[in-house]
Amino acid sequence: MSFEWPWQYNFPPFFTLQPNVETRQKQLAAWSSLTLSFCRHHKLYTLDVMEAQVSPVFNNKSIDRKLSTDAILVVFEELRKKGNLEWLDKNKTRCLVMWRRPEEWGKLIYQWVSKNGMVNTVFTHYELANGDDTEGEEFHGLEEWMLIRSLQALQTDGRAEIISMDDGKGVKFF
Amino acid sequence: MHRRGVGAGAIAKKKLAEAKYKERGTVLAEDQIVQMSKQLETFKSNLEEFASKHKQEIRKSSQFRVQFQEMCATIGVDPLASSKGFWSEMLGVGDFYYELGVQIIEVCLALKHRNGGLITLDELHHRVLKGRGKFAQDVSQDDLVRAIKKLKAMGNGFGMIPVGGSYLVQSVPAELNMDHTVVLQLAEKKGYISVGEIRESLKWETERACHVLDHLLKEGLAWLDSQASGEPQYWLPALFSELTSCDVTPDEANQMTP
Repeated sequence: MSFEWPWQYNFPPFFTLQPNVETRQKQLAAWSSLTLSFCRHHKLYTLDVMEAQVSPVFNNKSIDRKLSTDAILVVFEELRKKGNLEWLDKNKTRCLVMWRRPEEWGKLIYQWVSKNGMVNTVFTHYELANGDDTEGEEFHGLEEWMLIRSLQALQTDGRAEIISMDDGKGVKFF
Repeated sequence: MHRRGVGAGAIAKKKLAEAKYKERGTVLAEDQIVQMSKQLETFKSNLEEFASKHKQEIRKSSQFRVQFQEMCATIGVDPLASSKGFWSEMLGVGDFYYELGVQIIEVCLALKHRNGGLITLDELHHRVLKGRGKFAQDVSQDDLVRAIKKLKAMGNGFGMIPVGGSYLVQSVPAELNMDHTVVLQLAEKKGYISVGEIRESLKWETERACHVLDHLLKEGLAWLDSQASGEPQYWLPALFSELTSCDVTPDEANQMTP
């Protein structure tokens, strides 16, 4: 399924940080939404600011408009405030994008486990994220750092326990 | 032989004749009144018959409504002037436009956060029709204009700005004066406008042009595009043609503040 751009994407002023406060709020909300949707659609978990500048999201060639680096950072700050983004370095060149929060991932994973009657079984992280059995599930391909956070969320809930195994990490669901 | 009309007798006769004339005049007036009463009765029952026959028509056909309105205008009647009385109750004309008014308000509210409370009559029409569904009654732009005029009269903050052969409907009481209106009309062609274009077309000073554009930005009716080649452009979402068929997304709905 191809990605559907919102109407703002083809509206030239969308790529200029708006001087009017209320309009800017609407603009940033729309940019936050768009960034998360795009990452969700393409299953992107990290963003590099330099790469983002040339990515279609922030760069619409068909109308010859793009978000400046400064503006991209403003959008990212907005996402960070909402809990959907985390900087990986102090210089703010790379970040984690959480279009789904760890709790939400945990819930999905647990649902799959219980639906398949696999509670009380032990899984390796690899099996969960990359195994044949989970192919087609939304959490398939989930990056390690996010998987760990999701499992940690479940652990806090008392629904899982992270286990250290000989050849890697595992988890048991209750 | 006596000459006629001369002498006391003649005067008395004349007076009698005058009296009889007057009496006849009064009798005539009474006659007329009775006649008129009868005519009025007939007229009223004809009108009632007309009403019941055409009530359906009025609700269903926009063409009929236009012609009906024009007929009313010729005889100096405004069927929408009051919510009570014959026109409203018998014909349900008032109901029709009242309901349409409510629908118009709903559409404008739903899109306000997007276009700042300014929408083309075309887009409004398109969405009202969409909202009425496949089997709904036909609604014309003439109907919309009348309903909006009624809303305006009721003080709902509605206004209509003539642009490019049609109208921009204003649903939020943003203060728009003549200068703003003229710039909106200029912007209608391409959906955006710049200081230079205003100076060229309207022969205004830069300051006057900037003042208007700043106001449009402030009212949320225009967005600034500083990446345009040449000078900055001011775009109006209300005039952005790609927007017309774009539904309000769940995301947008979440961003709406009441």
